[in-house]
Amino acid sequence: MNAFLRAVYRVFRKDLRIEQRTKQVTTSVAVFALLVVLAFAFSFVQTLQRSTLLGRGALWVAFVFAGTFGVTKTVELEDRNGALDGLLIAPVDRSAIYLGKVLSTATFVFVVSLVTLGATTVFLGYSPSIPTAVSVAAVLLVAAVGFAAIGVVVSVLTFRSGLDQLALPVLLVPLVVPLLLAGVELTAALESGSPLGGWLRLLGLYTGVVLLAGVATFEYVVET
Amino acid sequence: MTPDAERAETTSEPPAIEVEHVTKSYGHFTAVDDLSFAVERGSTVGLFGPNGAGKTTLLRMMAGLARPTRGTITIDSVEVAPDDHTIYRTIGVVTHETMLYDELTARENLRFHADLHGVDDPADRCASVLDTVGLCHRGSDRPTAFSHGLRKRLSLARALLHDPDVLLLDEPYTGLDQRSLADLESVLDGFDDRTVVLTTHDLERGVARCDRALVVDRGRLEADLELDEAASFAAEYRRTIGVESEPKHVGDTTR
Repeated sequence: MNAFLRAVYRVFRKDLRIEQRTKQVTTSVAVFALLVVLAFAFSFVQTLQRSTLLGRGALWVAFVFAGTFGVTKTVELEDRNGALDGLLIAPVDRSAIYLGKVLSTATFVFVVSLVTLGATTVFLGYSPSIPTAVSVAAVLLVAAVGFAAIGVVVSVLTFRSGLDQLALPVLLVPLVVPLLLAGVELTAALESGSPLGGWLRLLGLYTGVVLLAGVATFEYVVET
Repeated sequence: MTPDAERAETTSEPPAIEVEHVTKSYGHFTAVDDLSFAVERGSTVGLFGPNGAGKTTLLRMMAGLARPTRGTITIDSVEVAPDDHTIYRTIGVVTHETMLYDELTARENLRFHADLHGVDDPADRCASVLDTVGLCHRGSDRPTAFSHGLRKRLSLARALLHDPDVLLLDEPYTGLDQRSLADLESVLDGFDDRTVVLTTHDLERGVARCDRALVVDRGRLEADLELDEAASFAAEYRRTIGVESEPKHVGDTTR
């Protein structure tokens, strides 16, 4: 493993170790996601017969809100005690630090998305077939990477510039709209067996583009 | 003749740190204004000045945590640039924040930073620096269980992990009680061979520790003084920043 990948892995492993110890991100974000699903269940109690539509909607709404909350938590960890400065003064490429944070954030968002997927089955009667559920999980995984790629940059920017926490969703949500659109449409296509074509390309390309943009801009974002 | 010019005459060795015409602006506000100075190898230089003088901004630029708007900073003949990480093998940085994770133990924190710095035999090195700062028996505790003084010592241990030639210390004495101050002093006493730049409001300790004082006010270098005579420096400092009374810690109202 070269030095760059070692640094990515070390940042990732550090975040996992902290999460394993505190369960702070996954627990709070999972509770938040479950509340979104429950809110859907209570709000649309009269239309529960359209469980596929409802489950899909709840899944992706919970993904965005829980993801926003999750990315705030993982970046907040670096903001406390000036820990991010400690990473920046290490002799490692700053894009490795960025990718390590993206990897850990995407892992947390993905795990919570799987919990949400289960919750939509329990509370909304959303029951895709196992192959469809696996494919939806794969879509969630790619979307989680794209979401984390944008989220880490925007969240670090918010923390470093001293902007109000409310600024994060205002800046973040418009940027994740392509991911959200592609995710919802791909989930629908997987359920109905329609071709995935354009939406799959959008999801893959947009995730790749925002990841590269994050790698290219991170060192400027962290400067104060 | 300026102190820098005198030093250049007496030594042919390149300085450990060279700050050349460095300016840092945030919009219309200039935090550091055209500062130039050089620091000899193995010397300890104090940056003195009131709150908001630009000391921390200057130190952050020297640490590569902020990019100068104009000018260059060179450490060990390598220009400090946030996108060139090679310089971080040479410098150790302690700021008023510990840069540590409260969720990890002291040893885990050090091990993480040792791994990032590519330190050889990281487990032994972590044990060694914990011993240096007098925390060898607290390695399994988390920083949240430490007093402010102990956290500062742990932060110093983190900065020493890769055995840097240059140490940048931002307000190392702030918030420490007498015992912690004495402990910190004894650790710093072992740094004779390193180049140290520190900012402090603690005039007495700063004078005792440093070979040379740079007085900064409103982002400008107001005085560059040798510290052979502490008393005369104190008077000169107060005159430079326009403080006529004799407070124990000039410029700091929080102590």
